[in-house]
Parts: sequence; structure tokens; C-alpha cells
Amino acid sequence: MSDQIKINVNGSEIRTDSDQLIIEACEDSGIHIPRFCWHKRMDPVGMCRMCLVEIETPRGKALVPSCTTKVSEDLVVDTESEVVKKAQEGVLEFLLINHPLDCPVCDKAGECPLQDQTMAYGPGESRFVEDKRHFEKPIPISEIILLDRERCILCARCTRFSDEISGDPLIEFIQRGNKTQVNTFPDEPFRSYFSGNTVQICPVGALTSTSYRFKARPWDLKKVSSTSNCSSMGCSVELNVSQNKMLRILGEDNEFTNQGWLSDKGRYNFEYLHSEKRILKPVLNNDSTNEISINESMELISNEISNDENSNISFIVGHNSTNEEYYALNNFVENLNKVNKDLNMDVYLSDDYLYEGFFHNSDLLGKVEDLDSVDTIILWAQDIKDNLPTLYLRIRQAVKNGKKLVIFGHTNTAMKELSDSYFGHEIISKNLEFNVEISEIPNFNEYINDKNVLAIIGKSSPIQNTNPISNLVNYLDQNSNLKLLNCFSKGNTFGALQNISLVKGLNEFINEFDSSEKNIVFTIGSNPVNSSIYSNQIKDKLINANFVVSLDLFKNETTELADIILPTTSFGEKEGTFTNLEMRTLKQNKILPTPGSVLNEWEYWSMMLNKIDIENSYESELELNLNLCEDYLDKDNVPSFDNLNKPSNLDGVLNSKSINIEIENVESGTLEILFVNRLYGDSSTQINSPSISMLGAERFIEMNSDTFIKRNLSDYTVNLVQGDITLQVKIKINNDLPNELIIAPLNRRGFRDIDTTKPYELIEVKNLKELSVN
Amino acid sequence: MSWDNELLERAHKIIELYPQKRSALGPLLYLAQEKDGFISDDSIVEISNLVDITEVQVKSVSSFYSMYKEEQTGTYLLSVCKSISCEINDSRSVINSVKEFTGLENYETDQDKLFTFEEVECIGACGGAPAVQVNYETVEGLTPEKTIEMCEWLKNDKPEIIVADQLQNKFGGTKSFDWAIEDNTGSAYTVPGFQNIGTAKEKDN
Repeated sequence: MSDQIKINVNGSEIRTDSDQLIIEACEDSGIHIPRFCWHKRMDPVGMCRMCLVEIETPRGKALVPSCTTKVSEDLVVDTESEVVKKAQEGVLEFLLINHPLDCPVCDKAGECPLQDQTMAYGPGESRFVEDKRHFEKPIPISEIILLDRERCILCARCTRFSDEISGDPLIEFIQRGNKTQVNTFPDEPFRSYFSGNTVQICPVGALTSTSYRFKARPWDLKKVSSTSNCSSMGCSVELNVSQNKMLRILGEDNEFTNQGWLSDKGRYNFEYLHSEKRILKPVLNNDSTNEISINESMELISNEISNDENSNISFIVGHNSTNEEYYALNNFVENLNKVNKDLNMDVYLSDDYLYEGFFHNSDLLGKVEDLDSVDTIILWAQDIKDNLPTLYLRIRQAVKNGKKLVIFGHTNTAMKELSDSYFGHEIISKNLEFNVEISEIPNFNEYINDKNVLAIIGKSSPIQNTNPISNLVNYLDQNSNLKLLNCFSKGNTFGALQNISLVKGLNEFINEFDSSEKNIVFTIGSNPVNSSIYSNQIKDKLINANFVVSLDLFKNETTELADIILPTTSFGEKEGTFTNLEMRTLKQNKILPTPGSVLNEWEYWSMMLNKIDIENSYESELELNLNLCEDYLDKDNVPSFDNLNKPSNLDGVLNSKSINIEIENVESGTLEILFVNRLYGDSSTQINSPSISMLGAERFIEMNSDTFIKRNLSDYTVNLVQGDITLQVKIKINNDLPNELIIAPLNRRGFRDIDTTKPYELIEVKNLKELSVN
Repeated sequence: MSWDNELLERAHKIIELYPQKRSALGPLLYLAQEKDGFISDDSIVEISNLVDITEVQVKSVSSFYSMYKEEQTGTYLLSVCKSISCEINDSRSVINSVKEFTGLENYETDQDKLFTFEEVECIGACGGAPAVQVNYETVEGLTPEKTIEMCEWLKNDKPEIIVADQLQNKFGGTKSFDWAIEDNTGSAYTVPGFQNIGTAKEKDN
């Protein structure tokens, strides 16, 4: 901790940390200093000069930028003197020289720092009569971001963000002086997973996004804070709605999770809410013309459930439900079981990366903020940058602050440059097992022995024996002061684990499915026929099942096999809680009306219970919330709606429940293909969001150059052939991979049918030119 | 890949001179300019791979400094100083004589790609003003007549290597001061002749 010192601002004394900047110290004491370039999550740069203040120095008063000057004992600061005012007027006059003042057609107008600060601190009148500099009006710098260089005031927030925070500096200042402009390199667009953040932090309307452009004026927006279910990080967001349409998602600064940043998926994956393809009424037999009322559908389902005494009922749940909905499902299962002991019911979570994890010892469980306090970060999990993008930013930040990063295995090659040690194919075999004893890994012990360690641990591949992971965790536990984050990346996975008494995996669903008996299957916000490596087997089982009910937003590969499709509410249309990977529970809020005759998942469970004449159903989210709060281990600080709405708890409440996962450890066969989930894929929410729908289209595989040469390839476009499957794919060279192991995206069209343990062939696409019609 | 092995070998030798790869950016841009007469996008891609930064970061540097040319230059780059010492000593008429001889305006290149003309800020030869640089080799104490003579010589003789001392002897007037060391190296491209990065060429006479 740094010392507290006192400084004098505008005649009053304030106390502050000795290592703070003047602008931070003033901000904390409620004194606002205008600024454009300074951002509390980025290094100061002193670019815009808007934050000039007067300080007393031994040589008299001096104007200094408060964003680059640190406080010192008894410093006297004046933020409102005549000199400061004159300086602010002068700076604004300069900034406005080339600013087009096209506020009437600018999306930023109304929430524009340049506009606001010109009103508050500007000269009031322009003396500039010369011609302004002109650039071509908005140019696209990526598929989703547009840049209007005329409006830019060169604060360097976007360029600094891409360099310092996201680490993909694809935009920079070009030229100099009057001609200075932000731009990309020709043919090298700003394709960053985090590009949307630059739009949010741009203090003028220079950067805009395709999805929000010309859609609304800021003063017409209705806003509510919520939690994103893009990943299990649980990023804090602000939902912006106008005329009952979600128009924008902004990142909110939550110190413990996303610190203001969002991935582009979390930011732009919302247009599906208003897609014409959404299911708005219950549908019978996958026939759109055969719409039925909710009452009829409930009748049909409850008859089906209560008709047969000995049926198996399976629930395949996804990861987009709220804790309350998982709890309601669990309540449904438990109550049904009380009435009919012969019913055989199980809940399966639709995530191939699920395994038993490390929940047995709650002292072991770490927090995201531990990243900033430990000595070493150990990472062995699926691709973090693609699956937990904001956690990736936190790890990047921690590494920048001097934490050691040690990476195992073949999925996080994108982070190799960040790491202090990367244990690739020499240590970890193709089958994700250790080649050497853990204690023998060169230089490993010096990173962990008697050190504070945070391990981020999960399966790297859907098919993977988890013993090596357990061995690593045991070794770390014995030799270091270990904290651990279980790395299941999808949405509200941890909410499902906390609120469902027993969770199994998709492999268990296939193994336990007995086609000789009567089977009823519910799929709830999940599309296992399209999102799993077991797709084909699951499809067979669903065809085999006697009765399939799908609760979903869209028609998809799974609902095709359903007897009844029940339309459900989505993110923004329901209130509830969300639990992130560190067991922090955050609030999700409702701001949109429910469309059509759509109900929340829990309402369906309650209605079905009522139909089967079972009491114990719930009437509201609030009631569910109060009930599920009773099971938390720490009774003093439960994540009830009331508690979460308290100002002190807006960052969420840490609390845990006992977790029961039952997943059989599979034998790792010989892995030929390593499946990873890419950030962008072909989920039905993404393909129904026009702004980002095309981002998950490219099909590519990664391999090292030795494999490329060994397979006698010469072209980077090939056909991947396995049995009777043929996929045309692009090859990217990634020399951090072991020989003869390729990485393929599981969530891109066509890849699911491929068996990762079977050999495949790569055949060059011959005569591609002859094939073209012209 | 647009750079041949020889150029790449030179590039790697330059990179080895620095503790961080990206520090070699400046000299590598000179290599690119030596190759093409300007910084081409292909070269930017090549350099970004060599020093592990993104293309746009290279572009940011190359477009910032005016000695890295964004457009094709002629064989001879005539940089006439317009700063204060030269201005006082009538650089205006030197500038006009170059303009008249070549028919070029500031930053223009002629159709034969022989001359590029630019007016520049101080080139550090105030003692011998007015001064001109031909491919960054300085001549001091020029008169309009001598300047035209020099341009004619460049046009007719098309010397491969420009050496400052030689230019000075042939066309120059008052010098700032005499180094008393004969410098036989000069530049062969529109790039300053630096021995440590191999852009300096020795004149054999």
C-alpha cells in the first residue's frame, strides 16, 4: 500500500494515495477535471491537453497536464483559475479547428465528451474562418467498425487500447502534423476480438459500429445494467434500448471482472433478439403452420409425462438460463420424482468441455482478482482468447504488471508470446498427456515452489483423459500456495452447476439412453445436435426418443427433431442472477418486453407442475430467487435480488453452493484433431445477428510447417477428407503445435461430424480455376 | 516474399545490432527505400515480419518521417534548404533555379524519374548557406548558376554514386569548415549513406 498524503485542491484539503495522478486524486474527491485522452484503465499519454491545471511550484504557478503529473505532499492545485479557464478555452479552440461540427448527423451527439466539454469549458464562439481539413467520410476499418477521420481529435485512446490492452495494434496514427489520421494498413483490417471497445471509449463520433449507426439518439435510450452471458466471466454490461428494441450493449467497469472491456461477441451479439426468425408461439411437430396455444402444449406435455409410469426423462440444458431457471428446472425434477419414484430423470449440461473439475475443496477456489496478486499464473485449459476473451485481457494485464505466466498444452498458442514459459510438444504429448514427470519439467519448479500460484485449469479438448490435469493440480497443491479457477467457459455454466443437484455430460446422455424404454427428452436452450462432438449420436437418440420437447429461441438442428417447440425468453427479456467462474453472482436485468406468446423457462416448469397437480410451483423470479438463496454456504451474504441491488453489491456477491458433477473420465485415444471453439461460430444467436453473422464463416485448420511439408502440401486450400466427409478448409501455419496434430474449430459449420480420434486425409483442391464458370 | 536473400541477410545483420528487434525499424526502412526508391507496402509487410510488429505500426513510423518517401522518387533527390540561414543568403534564387531547370514544383518527380525536388528545413549547413543535398550528400555555398551547372552534370553524366566532397569541389562555394579528411564514400540511392547499415558506397577514382 502506498502512503496517504494530503494535497490542496481549489482551497480545500483532500487526502490521497501518494502514487496517484492529480486527475485521479481529484476524481476520487469529486472534483471533475475535463479530459479526452486520459482513461483510468490505460496508461496516461498527455495527448489532448484538456486536463491542464495550475499548480504551485518553487518557481511560481505553472500549468501542467493533471493526467501525467503525480501528486506530492502539500501540493497546491487550482483547477478553476482564470489561467486554467483560458487554457481550456484555447485547447478546445484548437481541437475544434478541424472538427467538422456535424453533430446533427453524428451518433455521438448527446453523449459526446467533446460536445459536453465545449459547452462547459469552451470559448463559446469560433474565430476560425479558414477551410477545414477534409477526409473521406466514414471508411470501414473492419466488418463491424467504421472510422470518420474528420471527427477524430487524436486522443490516441483507440490506438493505445489496441496496443496496451488488447495487444493487437492494427490501428495507428499515420502521417503527422495537420495530416495525422488514425488508420489501418491497406488489406489489414482492424480484425480484433476487442475492436468494439474503441467505439465505446472514443470521445467523439470518429469510431462507430455498423450495428448502432444511425439507429438512435442517446437521449432516447432506456438503459439498465446487466450481466453478459457471452462467457462464464460474467462481464458487467449496460443494455441500451429504444422503442423496445435492444440497440447497443456497453461495457461497465466492474473492478472484479471485465474492468469496462467487452469482447465484440459480448457487445454485438444481440440483434437476434429482434430477428424475424424467432419462434413466438409453441409449435407442434416442427411444422410452422401447426402453431398451438401454450395451454394446449402444456396439456400435451403433462399428459405425456404422467401417462407412463416408468419412463426416462432427460433434460439437456444449455448455458443461457438464469440461476432461477436452473433452480426451477431442478425443482421440477425433484417434485416429479416425489410423486412418481419410478421416473428416471437426469440433467445433462450441453458442454463437451465439462468434467468433474476441482470443487471438492472450497479453500482451493480462486478469484479473478487473484491474477493481480499472485506470483505465477498457470494455464492449462481451452483457448482462453476465444472462449473467455475478457479473462484473456485480465491475464494480459497481470503479465504486463510482472506476473509470471506458464502455459501448458496446445490450445493457447495465441498466448505463447505473453508467457514466460510455454510447455508445448516436448512436455505435453499429442494426446494431452505429460511426456515427462511433472517434477522433471525444466524450470517449472522455480515458478511455483513456495510461490502464490493461480491455476486456470480445464479440459483442452472435448476428448481428453483428465488424470494429467489432476496430477498437475495435486503437484501444484503440494508445492505451492495454490488457488484455482475451474475453466468452464460457457455462459452461466456455474449457475447450472450450483442450482442443479446433479449434472452430467452429453457422453453420459448417450451411454445412459436406453432405447428399449420410453424416453422423453427436454432440450433447454441448447442445440446438442449442432454444438457437440457427439452430435450424430445425440441425433440418433433424439430420433429414437418417444417424445422430444425443445425450449428455444430459434429453429435449429435440435428443434427439427422436437415434437413440441416452446419459445423462451432471452437475455434482456428476463430477470435473474448469473454466476461466473469464480462463483461471483451478478444480476441480469429485464429491459425488453417479452415478444409474442413467449414465456420464461421457469414459467413452463411451473405450469407443467400445475397440470400434473403438483404444488410447489413458483409464481415469480423473486420467489425462486429467495428460495435458491437458502442453499448458499455463506448465509450472511446471499445473492438475493435485494442484496444484489444494493449499491455496494453492484459488482456481484461471492458465494458458493455444493456442486455435484458426475462425468466419466474418458480414455484419451490417439488424438488426430484438436477441436477448439472459436469466438465466432455458427450459433443460432450469432447467425441471426446480421452485423456479426459473417464473422464465423471462415473454415480453417492450423498445423505446423513440418506437418504441412510431410503431407506434401503446396497449397493453403485443401479438402479435409475423413470417411465420406469432405470439407474444404484453409490452412494456417502454427509452429507451436506438435507434429501431425491439427487444430480445427468445433463451432464452425461442417466440423462436428469429424471424429477427432480417427485419421483423416488432406487432399489438395485441384483445378480450382477450371471449375469457375468464367 | 518481396525481399531477396541478399537484402534479407543485410536486414538480419542490422537487427543483430540492437537489443530489441523493433529498434532496427529505422535502418530497415532505409533498406526498403534503397530497394524501391520509396517505402512500398510490400516492404512494410516484410519489415513487420522481420521485427515482429504489425504492418500499421511500421507504416506509422514510415509516414511520420519525411525522409522516408511514400512515393517513388527520381534517381536524384534534390533537397534545397529553405530555413533561415539559407533564406538570408538567397536560397530563394537557388530554389527558383532548380525549379526552372527541372520544371518541378515542391515534392514533384519528373517523368523520366531522374529528379525529385523538395524544399526542406535546415540541413545543418548554416555556415555554408545556401546549401543543397543531392541524395543527402551536402553541397554548400551554391549560386543559382552553379546549381544549374550541377543539375546539368547530373542529367548528362548520370553519376552512379554521389559523393559530397566531389560535389563540393565541382560546384560548391564557401564551406562551413574543412574536415581535412577526404571522404570517398557517398550514396547511390535516395537514402543517406550510412556505413554501418551498408547504404554508403565507396567511389573508385
